[in-house]
Amino acid sequence: MPTLPDLLFYALAGFTLLFGFLCVANPFSRNPVTSAMFLVLTIISMAGLFVLLQAFFLAAVQVLVYAGAVMVLFLFVIMLLDIKEEERRRLNKAALGIGGVAVLAIAGLLVRALVQATPLASAAGQRAEGSTKPLGRLLFTEYLLPFEILSVLLLVAMVGVILLSKKEMK
Amino acid sequence: MDFIRYLDPTVQFMLFSAVKIVLVFAVAMTGVAYAVLVERKVSAWIQDRVGPNRAAPFFVHYLPVVGPFLTKLGIFQPMADGLKFILKEDFTPSYVRKIYFWIAPAISCVPALMTLAVIPFGSTLGNANNPMVIADLNVGILYTFGIVSLGVYGIVLAGYASNSKYPFLGGIRSSAQMISYEIAMGMSVVSVFLVVGDLNLSKVVAYQSGGIHEWLIFKQPLAFFIFLVSAFAETNRLPFDLPESETELVGGYHTEYSSMKFALFFLGEYAAMIGASAMMVTLFLGGWTPIWGGAPASSLLVGLSHIVWFLAKLGFFMVLFIWVRWMLPRFRYDQLMNLGWRRFIPLALVNIIITAGLIALTHK
Amino acid sequence: MNYMELLGALAPEAIVVLTALVALAVDLLVLRQAPQNARQVVAVSITAVGILAAIIALSVAAPSPPWMDGLLINHSTTAFLKQTLLVLALVAGILSIQSRFTQHTGEYVTLLLLSTVGMMLLVSSDNLLLMFVALELTSLPLYVLTAFNKESPSSSEASLKYFLIGSLSAACLLFGISLLYGLSGGITWTQLATTLRAGSEPIVYLALILTLIGFAFKVAAAPFHLWAPDVYQGAPTPVAAFIASGSKIASFYMFARIFMAALPGTAGSAAWSGATPGWVPLVAALAVVSMILGNVAAIAQRSVKRLLAYSAIGHAGYALLAILSNTEQGMGSLLYYVVTYAVTAMGAFAVVNVIERDVQAPNGESLTDFAGLSRRSPLLSLCLLVFVLSLAGIPPLAGFFGKFYIFIATAQSGTSQGLIWLVMLAIGTSAISLYYYLQILKQVYVVESVGQPTPVQLRPAESACIVAMACTVLILGCAPNWLINRFSPNSTEVRRAGVITKPSTTLELAAEIHPRITAPLGTATGLVQKRPQFETTTANAQ
Repeated sequence: MPTLPDLLFYALAGFTLLFGFLCVANPFSRNPVTSAMFLVLTIISMAGLFVLLQAFFLAAVQVLVYAGAVMVLFLFVIMLLDIKEEERRRLNKAALGIGGVAVLAIAGLLVRALVQATPLASAAGQRAEGSTKPLGRLLFTEYLLPFEILSVLLLVAMVGVILLSKKEMK
Repeated sequence: MDFIRYLDPTVQFMLFSAVKIVLVFAVAMTGVAYAVLVERKVSAWIQDRVGPNRAAPFFVHYLPVVGPFLTKLGIFQPMADGLKFILKEDFTPSYVRKIYFWIAPAISCVPALMTLAVIPFGSTLGNANNPMVIADLNVGILYTFGIVSLGVYGIVLAGYASNSKYPFLGGIRSSAQMISYEIAMGMSVVSVFLVVGDLNLSKVVAYQSGGIHEWLIFKQPLAFFIFLVSAFAETNRLPFDLPESETELVGGYHTEYSSMKFALFFLGEYAAMIGASAMMVTLFLGGWTPIWGGAPASSLLVGLSHIVWFLAKLGFFMVLFIWVRWMLPRFRYDQLMNLGWRRFIPLALVNIIITAGLIALTHK
Repeated sequence: MNYMELLGALAPEAIVVLTALVALAVDLLVLRQAPQNARQVVAVSITAVGILAAIIALSVAAPSPPWMDGLLINHSTTAFLKQTLLVLALVAGILSIQSRFTQHTGEYVTLLLLSTVGMMLLVSSDNLLLMFVALELTSLPLYVLTAFNKESPSSSEASLKYFLIGSLSAACLLFGISLLYGLSGGITWTQLATTLRAGSEPIVYLALILTLIGFAFKVAAAPFHLWAPDVYQGAPTPVAAFIASGSKIASFYMFARIFMAALPGTAGSAAWSGATPGWVPLVAALAVVSMILGNVAAIAQRSVKRLLAYSAIGHAGYALLAILSNTEQGMGSLLYYVVTYAVTAMGAFAVVNVIERDVQAPNGESLTDFAGLSRRSPLLSLCLLVFVLSLAGIPPLAGFFGKFYIFIATAQSGTSQGLIWLVMLAIGTSAISLYYYLQILKQVYVVESVGQPTPVQLRPAESACIVAMACTVLILGCAPNWLINRFSPNSTEVRRAGVITKPSTTLELAAEIHPRITAPLGTATGLVQKRPQFETTTANAQ
């Protein structure tokens, strides 16, 4: 008898996969806005998975940052660029063949891994800390260095975006 | 009501939650309806007019004294408005993108209502195990921000779905505006949480209990100011209502909408105002705590009085929202962006640094 | 854990970040109105000062034990690699003076320096988290730098390709390392090495493949090389030079470290008879495809930058041989190889940069633009000769010894010399590569230039750089011991464990090191499987 969290997990995981699939390969619409909206749904489903793991902070941040800010800007750009429905591309047979082989190989490996897998004896380290305080403490002590490097990374992104989007003055 | 005590705790919890949800929803919806009325009345008084003073069902006419008085106050106007919206022709232009055109009003209205779930609107009703909040989340404020940030999709999609120029411009404006002010808003709140030390909104209220001098508006005035102004921008209210500014964009993102779909946008806007006001009450005005004292209620009567306190403070902010709308002119778009990015975000950052510094100095 | 100690250990990186900020601030606040040339000179001077300070800081820094349970490591090898990276960044800065691909000098220098910081951190990083962050910090500025020439559509196109493929591979890498983390429960090399064993979980192989894809992209190994020709051709030449040199050193070092130090238990074998699954056969497959595809496709190229790109793919194939040898000796030969290759490639690109400025063709340079270069600038031609012959692997240049060490390390690793087939293949493809390298030299020395040969305009700083690099290639070729001994095990792994020894000679060291490494370290890092053999190989070489 599956418990409620189990059922929720499978439902949310299913939604995540379904929306993810519809985001990249929607058979009904090739409208970029639709893809973006399905990506938003994917992100929200993933936030649900975080909630199941008791990682409320991550869930909230996932929605706040990705669904609420990043994807809005995506939509913004898609709309401003006025991307029309993507044309149906002619399929490149060679690329399709090679890509198919790669996908089949990785899928085969995954299936094999799933079939042979033994239940992992809680190998995933310590339990993920969901609440904000331990997370903040870790970020500012143990992982201070990667955290600070990210600030440099953001600086790079900022300089790069301003540079690339600014009109060249002659 | 004795049977409740014999129920399973889970069932009890679900029952209470369901009741709370229904009540909050009902109050919020009524609040929206009457906020519209207040808006019309206040605007009328400010412009030296009378405002709605006619609409009334037939029987009111027969009541002596009270009847004409209520009619004059426009108490029945919201019902007439609602009926009008429902009965109007729901016209869908032929050139719109149908699915988004239908979804957008719902998306703009649902998140605004969902934010109310984490707001503690009262202490208890005598039973300490049943706090007057629908969901007492540990990350309450982040939840609110996350949900609020989804509200922008309603407007953006409405602009996109309408497939016409002015709504589109409105949608684009609102997405840029709401994201910009979300940053300022989020940063202004950080200093509040530095002071309180918790993200849980009930804890924020508990921190402020003890009287008016404990309220965070006096400890973090700058944060309050930034939050207040950002709230105006987030709810697309004047002086920041550029997404729908009627003089430039006809009606902005809802130009092509009519009837109940339009009403949903209307509802969304006022629900967002209620949500923002509730947040400000909780964060800065002590939530449900009265201006003196503020221990959780031990009896039903005190509990109800706390809820009244909360609603009174909420009403204050609603009137403020409305009053500002009719007093201030609209900003220009570049002024809006300038204010958000070059004034408020640095100010909020400075506020965070100063607050953190003070806390570091005082807490050894 | 002490923040000041951390800052002390990262002083060189901090200096470079500060330099970047200062250069940006000075350019944007003070020199807004100054002429372009002055801005470039000031920006590059600031860069030079900062880089010199960082190099000095690196050379005086004491080697430290692993930091904070394996967050980052500093020892003499990482210090040397970082110094090399800094010098290469400086050369890329100097090459950009007077070039006309951008007016945003401050931003150019800033991004160049911040990318260098990413590479330096990549070299030092000792766990998956820091590695990924550093890798992103390396790549992101390079994407932007590639698009710097806004007047050229091919620059934007190259950047977009680089960015898209780069993000995709970063996603693969992230997926891979998340699986590694999930399987082992740790993110440091030591934790990974102690928990991951072959055959324990089939999903380990998926993690290996995904991680491998991420790195194969970074080092431009076929079939993940598709971005390289476009980027090398479309990017501004100094940027292409930096991508071809600095980013290669850092990525190859990390590539080797993550597989050798963190995943020794899942190595497998690529021996001709009796291959077993693991990452070694996968790397072998990459190496085979890269060597063949890179060297064959280079023959058909008409643009020298594109030709260098395909040759880089071929060289990545050789370097992969060193990784799959999976020995300490392989690591040493890999470092010698990538460092000398980086200097050579930087030199070759520097020459291309001069020619490109000289011809000012709208579509960039082509092979025929080099016709008669020997008449127009004998010095430049001589330097180009050194670089190209070194790339081809002609003794006594550095490129020869690089390949030589790698072939030796590969042939000696594995059981009963099962990897000899890879070495045979590598020698064969090297022979093919001679053809296209000599094509360049034929243009320079044999073909007459069209019309009257005019002398090529060379700036002093630029020519000094080119000559210095040519001399380096020559010296490293004549005295390879100096460099290879730096990468010998005593400087990499013993100090890593905090055991700092100063053996008088390398011969003594070899005797001394064997028991020590195999006992505590061999199990911890899984790095040392064979006794180091540099003394014999270098002796043979001479």
